[in-house]
Amino acid sequence: MSEPLVNIVDLHLSLVGGAGEVNILRGVNLSITKGETVSVLGPSGAGKTTLLMALSGLEKPTSGQVQVAGVDLTTIDEDGLARFRREHVGIVFQSFHLIPTMTALENVSLPLEFSGCRNPEQQAEEALTKAGLGDRINHFPGELSGGEQQRVALARAFVVKPALLLADEPTGNLDRETGQIVMNLLFDLQQEHGTTLVLVTHDEILASRCERSVRMIDGCLREENGAGS
Amino acid sequence: MNSTSTIAQAIRLVRRELRGGLRGFGVFLTCLFLGVFAISAIGSFTESAKAGLLADASALLGGDLEIRLAHRELPTEGISFLTEQGQLSHVATMRTMVVDIDNDKRVLAELKAVDSSYPLYGKITSTPQLNIHNELDSRDELGALVEAPMLSRLDKKIGDKVKVGDAEFKIKGVITTEPDRTVRAFNLGPRFMISLDGLDATGLIQPGSLIYHAYRLRLPNRETVDQLKAEMQARFPEAGWRVRSWREAAPRVTFFLDRMNLNMTLIGLCSLLVGGLGVSGAVRGYLDGKITHIATMKCLGAPGKLIFTAYLLQILFLGLLGSTAGLAAGATLPYVLKQLIGTHLPVPMTPGIHWQVLAVAALFGLLIALIFSLKSLGLARLVSPSVLFRGYSESGNRNPGTAVKVSIIISAMILAALAILTSSDQRLAFWFISGASLCFVIFRFASTTIVKLTHLIPKPTNPSLRLGLGNIHRRGSPAGSALFSLGLGLTALVTVMLVQANLDDKINETVPNEAPSFFFLDLQSNQVESFEETVRNLPGLTKFERYPTLRGRITAIAGKPVTMAKVAEEVRWAVRGDRFLSYAKEKAPDIKVVAGEWWPSDYAGEPLVSITADLAKGFGVGIGDTLTINVLGRDVTARISSLREVDWSTLDLNFALLFSPGVLENAPQTNIASIHVPAEHEETAFAAITKQFPNVSAISTRELLKNVSQTLERIGTAFRSMAGLAVLIGFLVLAGAVSADQHRRIHDAVIFKVCGATRFDILGAFAAEFLFLGLIAGGISAIVGSLAAMGILKGLMKISFTLHPGTIITTILTGVALTVFLGLVGTWRALGHKPASYLRDVN
Repeated sequence: MSEPLVNIVDLHLSLVGGAGEVNILRGVNLSITKGETVSVLGPSGAGKTTLLMALSGLEKPTSGQVQVAGVDLTTIDEDGLARFRREHVGIVFQSFHLIPTMTALENVSLPLEFSGCRNPEQQAEEALTKAGLGDRINHFPGELSGGEQQRVALARAFVVKPALLLADEPTGNLDRETGQIVMNLLFDLQQEHGTTLVLVTHDEILASRCERSVRMIDGCLREENGAGS
Repeated sequence: MNSTSTIAQAIRLVRRELRGGLRGFGVFLTCLFLGVFAISAIGSFTESAKAGLLADASALLGGDLEIRLAHRELPTEGISFLTEQGQLSHVATMRTMVVDIDNDKRVLAELKAVDSSYPLYGKITSTPQLNIHNELDSRDELGALVEAPMLSRLDKKIGDKVKVGDAEFKIKGVITTEPDRTVRAFNLGPRFMISLDGLDATGLIQPGSLIYHAYRLRLPNRETVDQLKAEMQARFPEAGWRVRSWREAAPRVTFFLDRMNLNMTLIGLCSLLVGGLGVSGAVRGYLDGKITHIATMKCLGAPGKLIFTAYLLQILFLGLLGSTAGLAAGATLPYVLKQLIGTHLPVPMTPGIHWQVLAVAALFGLLIALIFSLKSLGLARLVSPSVLFRGYSESGNRNPGTAVKVSIIISAMILAALAILTSSDQRLAFWFISGASLCFVIFRFASTTIVKLTHLIPKPTNPSLRLGLGNIHRRGSPAGSALFSLGLGLTALVTVMLVQANLDDKINETVPNEAPSFFFLDLQSNQVESFEETVRNLPGLTKFERYPTLRGRITAIAGKPVTMAKVAEEVRWAVRGDRFLSYAKEKAPDIKVVAGEWWPSDYAGEPLVSITADLAKGFGVGIGDTLTINVLGRDVTARISSLREVDWSTLDLNFALLFSPGVLENAPQTNIASIHVPAEHEETAFAAITKQFPNVSAISTRELLKNVSQTLERIGTAFRSMAGLAVLIGFLVLAGAVSADQHRRIHDAVIFKVCGATRFDILGAFAAEFLFLGLIAGGISAIVGSLAAMGILKGLMKISFTLHPGTIITTILTGVALTVFLGLVGTWRALGHKPASYLRDVN
């Protein structure tokens, strides 16, 4: 059996808010092999997004272990996590999170620039063309539809050929038809690059496109099909 | 919806908006406050000082009316006439040397001889407090009151004796206040006060001595002074006296105050213009944040007119708030200054509320608020409801509409007209407004062009530099605002500093190399031969000049009385009071005739006069026209036979008016001389001449220039402070722009982190962005400021201009440091944001 790409062991994550400490993740265990597609289902507030934040190094666990691509995320500092993300992780958000004052091309070039790529624009243009936006590369996000913006976000996430792609409700702000187009693109790119995918979604139909599903309930993870905690 | 209901509805909207407080308007209010404060403070100070001068007018003048003559006393009939009108007092002043009897040390002094009626107004106070007339004219000895520097320069104390001319005086006390001591920028020597009998005893009064006699009158009712003045001029039309009433007590001071007020108000206006950028940035940022609100209101049926009116009223209200605070601070400044440093102020101050000054300052503030808000208000009116569906607002410039553009132009023209019409020198104000407008256009063009040109710079491979450069030309970037605001403020500072530096050069470096070492005044005609022999024996002598000299007043130009002639502002000094005159047979080698011809040395025809070319231009006269000068009560009309070019900056002996031989020889006169000796021989020269000729006053050029330099430094400090205010406002505007951009920076920083940027990458990108901006702002301000300084020095002041690289570099570094500092402060806040919580909140 090959080494898992993602290995989470007894992950706890608490946040301190106005009303006191909130335990978001309570002893999560998860193992994902390379190239696997996993959907994370669960009600709002269950901790799905927080799990993605922990997997990407955007949130520090309170305790437990998070290993991605052989890197223990709990032992490296903020800049180390940034470098880790640029090399191994692509993220797609529900609200797209593009830079509104940068063109589509510039948005997609960003992670390549941070990793010191020599010709980021060329690779970015190829990624956008693959996403069906070859004729919109100089458009600003405000000039694109929601679906187009999400496709730009996908291009940005995949342009570094990440080992792991994290998608947080990528079709949450899109209509069904547009969402379908976006998800088709997502899975096409995933298959092309052999990327491991973790998809957070409410949509059971969308979840069924993944090989495996897990369900988050009150900060605890349960396998829908297959082993889990 | 009619206008009334639109306004009523707009007011309702404004009240709701203001419930959220004044958040986001810190820079707007501060910029308006500072700009309006600057203008109202300067105006209030000037008017309070002028009120103080008016309140003390009679004391300052020494009477309700003053008749002033040079060289001679008032004739008996004049004295009789004046004595009938009121209480008369006679005062005589001149410069002379005071000698230490023990060691022959000599100090130049401003001698004043007073009679028993002096002072008619106010009090002389001294240490110890004395009955001055008893002390100055006691039976046993002649006494003197001196200013403190006299004691220190001669190393004397109260009770010691000194000599003036042929008489010895005992120093009885130190003057602490002298009510009619004219407020002057600088004095040539400390005061030495004696009685008129004491003056007689000195033997200094010789025919032609440079002595001024002032006869002051205290009237039973000082309001009748104008009537009396007219009566005197009718009764003694040819007298050649200079008559001043209490209303003109300190004309030079008033003139100086008006000049300072004008110049500093113009710089204050410059600060307010820079502040307008802060207003513009704040309003733009505020309305950008309201786009969703506006779009929602439009979806619900609000017309664009209502949106425009509501936010316009809000801006005007806030403008009024900021301006009122500025006015309050400016209006109270004279009170505060009087309370804190009243006795140290160079002019008397009667603080008051000067409504005209405040009204003008308030109008400036409101107009600035309006001009710099209209574009954003116009764009707000055009916000489309579709914004709600797209999520991102449309970026890029849009046209606010012709009506808005026309309104901006009209408001700007009203502002310019107000600045010009309320100025005491409308021509200067017009040129200033034109220059400031040109600067605006230059910076607008430069900032737009440079931002676009950054597109053409090859993209660096380093991600931080690449991002930083990209940020400059990115939409919504504060680059334009930074270049504009900081650039304008730094330009004002560079201009003022370069002008100051060049003036300092002129005085400290250029002039002493060429200037005479000493001037000697009051050399009698019968002393000329022995004086010249003494001078020629001085060691190291390189140059010696001597001219006979008298005092006279121009009374007519080309046949027209001077009060009716058109005289250009820059030569008005020539018709204000007495001028030094001279005559010469031969044309001295350094006299440069540029028009007409010098008279032959044996000339014996009609009176001719050679005048300086700039005087001729200012008077509108040329070769063949006439000038009438009153010399000791006699009118002399001479024909202009030549024009000369004179470089006054060398301080060589020269005269604006030089007469041909045969006109003035018989009038009482003295001589003025100058010598050039190396510095190491100056003391020897001074001792040799003043010992042999005790009646001759010696003025050291070095001391004179030091005095002038100190005065210019004080004035320069005031101007630098105002220019510094412009920089401060520019800094605030930039801070506002960075602050308004904060939300975008936080968002960008989070996304950069998601995409794998380290903190160093992000910090580097923002630092690079602001470093570029600072260098560009500093560079442009260095160029524009240098050009402006050159224009002022060469065009207005007619003196040479030298570039000061040190000043330029300091300015560029200041610009860079300020910009980078602000940028990093803004970045620090952005970096501190945790990406996860931000993303979670947004999601």
